[in-house]
Amino acid sequence: MKSDVLVIGTGVVGCAVARELTRFNINVVAIDAASDVAEGASKANSAIVHAGFDAKPGTNKAKFNVLGNRMFEDVCRELKVPFRRNGSLVLAFDAEDEKVLQSLKERAEENSVPVEIISQEELRRREKNVSEEAISALWAPTGGICCPYELTFRYAENAAANGAEFFFDAQVVSIEKIEGGWKVVCADSRVFTAKAVVNCAGIKSDEINNLVSNVKYSIKARRGEYLMLDRDEDGVFSATMFQCPSKMGKGILVSPTVDGTVIVGPTAEDIDDKDDKATTFGGLENVRKGAKRTYPKLPLSKVIAEFSGLRAHETTVGDFILGEAPDAEAFFNAVGVESPGLTSAPAIGVWMAAKVAAKLGASRRNPSLISKDVSWWPKTREMNPAELAELVERDPSFGRIVCRCEEVTEGEIRAAIRARVGARTLDGIKRRTRSGMGRCQGGFCTPRLIEILGSELGLPPEAFLLSRKTAPVALKKPTRGCGCAGGVCDVIVVGAGPAGLAAACAAKDAGAKDILVVERDDAPGGILQQCIHNGFGLHRFKEELTGPEYAQRFVDMAQERGISVVCGTMVLDITPEADGTSHVTVMSPRGGLKIHRTRSVVLAMGCRERPRGALMTPGTRPAGVYTAGTVQRLVNMDGIMPGKRVVILGSGDIGLIMARRLTFSGAKVLACVEIMKKSSGLMRNVVQCLNDYDIPLLLSHTVTNVEGRDHVTGVTVAEVDDKMQPIAGTEIHYDCDTLVLSCGLIPENELTKKAGVEMDEKTRGPKVDANMATSVPGIFAGGNVVKVYDLVDWVSRDSEIAGRSAAQYALNSKV
Amino acid sequence: MKMICISCPRGCELDVSKNGDEVVVAGNACPRGKDYGESELINPTRMVTGLVRVAGMRKPLPVKTASPVPKGSIDAVLFAMHQMTVQLPVKTGDVIIESVAGTGVNVVATANM
Repeated sequence: MKSDVLVIGTGVVGCAVARELTRFNINVVAIDAASDVAEGASKANSAIVHAGFDAKPGTNKAKFNVLGNRMFEDVCRELKVPFRRNGSLVLAFDAEDEKVLQSLKERAEENSVPVEIISQEELRRREKNVSEEAISALWAPTGGICCPYELTFRYAENAAANGAEFFFDAQVVSIEKIEGGWKVVCADSRVFTAKAVVNCAGIKSDEINNLVSNVKYSIKARRGEYLMLDRDEDGVFSATMFQCPSKMGKGILVSPTVDGTVIVGPTAEDIDDKDDKATTFGGLENVRKGAKRTYPKLPLSKVIAEFSGLRAHETTVGDFILGEAPDAEAFFNAVGVESPGLTSAPAIGVWMAAKVAAKLGASRRNPSLISKDVSWWPKTREMNPAELAELVERDPSFGRIVCRCEEVTEGEIRAAIRARVGARTLDGIKRRTRSGMGRCQGGFCTPRLIEILGSELGLPPEAFLLSRKTAPVALKKPTRGCGCAGGVCDVIVVGAGPAGLAAACAAKDAGAKDILVVERDDAPGGILQQCIHNGFGLHRFKEELTGPEYAQRFVDMAQERGISVVCGTMVLDITPEADGTSHVTVMSPRGGLKIHRTRSVVLAMGCRERPRGALMTPGTRPAGVYTAGTVQRLVNMDGIMPGKRVVILGSGDIGLIMARRLTFSGAKVLACVEIMKKSSGLMRNVVQCLNDYDIPLLLSHTVTNVEGRDHVTGVTVAEVDDKMQPIAGTEIHYDCDTLVLSCGLIPENELTKKAGVEMDEKTRGPKVDANMATSVPGIFAGGNVVKVYDLVDWVSRDSEIAGRSAAQYALNSKV
Repeated sequence: MKMICISCPRGCELDVSKNGDEVVVAGNACPRGKDYGESELINPTRMVTGLVRVAGMRKPLPVKTASPVPKGSIDAVLFAMHQMTVQLPVKTGDVIIESVAGTGVNVVATANM
């Protein structure tokens, strides 16, 4: 492969350089050792656009921080990346800290960064959740937040639109000076030659430089561990909350993100292994403790993920090393770009491109020939209803929601794979679309993503051209109504699992006429479709049925009553109206966007599993960690075996059931590990799923480390004491390829909250009375959406009450 | 012999012993517990649920033994299920394997496909 310029490394700096180079008459190739862009520090950092009060005046860090910060509005507008100038606050907790604020203020002034010191009263007026221990703060209005990998993707996408080419899995092993340039050889023998090379290799940028130059650099990996909090926490802080840098380290920040989550971290720990991105017990504990200083009410129950990133800390110079190497002509470095690297990236990109172009004597391209195209997929969750309705009509796949937590549609996922620098992995899809990034962390959507990825990558490369924008057409309004008498339904039931179907049947029997059941899956029956084991219906039907059989009974009952069940349809919103009715917005591939009006609603969305993030299990984040329900879906519905040697964490019923199922399907289940003193699942399941097959149940034990970079290679299990802390010396190691999590279920209540229903903190479902009525008139709830039940029989029973109450309400309605 | 009854989610702790030819079950809350205790001592049995391949599809068909089979024949039952490929359509209750592994018990479909 021959080019004018070869960019090594496709993090945010490499992609910014590549994109800015395309403004010149230069052809650009960018390569990375990983399988995607943004695989290093660009995907795991604090996502902060620093104001620039922190960097030492006169350094490259200070210069590019301040320049980069000023560019963010324009760059993010051009590249269509979300950015918010929310401002930063540095908190002082004592007199010592206040001195630090003073010196930061002086630094800020030298760097021409506007700041002011605000009083405790002013601080508390702005941030009501901040600790009362904070006595004053430094306010920097130009601080901001941005999504670092989204910025990287869009830089890459725009660079590609302007002719840059990207190659992945290209690990550089040698760089050789040749006539008129450089020859770069990769581990798989691919050869790239170029007139100039730009080294943007992040944490490995020292190694790349040292292959060429005698001016040696040395980068230490500085690991930072983070926690991510659920969207429920959106708005707890408006500014980014820093602590004073002290002897104890830089302090832990708490910040909103542009996605509505809250990020907490990082730790700072120098480590030897530049690939070790594992989280640790101690690290996560430090994050938690540090964050509590700023945010005393930090709710651990809202943690959805933990991760770590590695900053490229250069130890000889301690600053960004930018520019041509003194002893290697046309070899340019961007070495040691650690924090504030994200903030500096736009400025480094422009500066570096100008240096390289000058070296090559390249002229600027005519600006009108430079493509501004970066918008390779629309984000349906940010569209207004009219735009969305029009899009779904044009391409029904934008009406099919795959990731329900983040409301990502199949259309967006396919487009992300088909993009110029498209997703090739589950992680690539996740970071491009947010699918799998919400509170269930891919529990529900992973099987669908595997399916879509498989079907897409079977296509010839020509298909990638399909992502070009189509011509705009006149917008269409969402259609209203479902053809019910007078355009109003009696009862709309959300969910066609055992709860929803039981409620619908009971509502019909109680006299309701127009009943509509809305189901997001392609078939009714809910989660029972994948619960192929027996043990259901002993109370309800006086016989022992399998899950699909139990579900089928209710499907048949609904059918006998002529109840209409629409599948493949997602309810997006429920809005209570002043007259006691509700508007229910639904979306489907065939029907597009529709708004129904109904006299009453029964919520029956069921529940979801607690993901790994909620458990705060330390270690790496490899493939091969699944929740029990995801494994159940893969094995029982999709015919896919996830692994051969399995450890199960948690002894919930689904985990126990899956221990037996995986054994039946040929896997070796090594152990079931439970942190509590007794199993959380039913004793009958311990007997018939574990004991029958000699699978050990380790009580008062937990997984203390997950190993494996790409795929799980093993886990460490240890006994815990009364405070659930691991006891040193009790560690057992298992070689395994799969870790299955079965650590409890949580009612699924996004819609409930949107409808303004009052929630119960304990059950995590809506508050209901004896008639299963919620706090909002006309909205009822039944089944696992209210609280997690042990037995489906009781789900059906209580949902029937909800159905009858909803029918009563509808029949009494004056509308 | 102490055991936990698996007949229902209540999970009674049974004490099962032999008095001559008679099996004595204590600790059970219902007659099903007595039946379970007796059978568990003399000839333990289990319902087996499983999956069989469907011709031309990745998605498998869920099946079960129509009644419990001796615990010792579970492996043979699973093997027979594993060897089986069915043609669609199939309805809930259709016999998929007759007298599986010589147990006299049929394997039946548990879903419509």
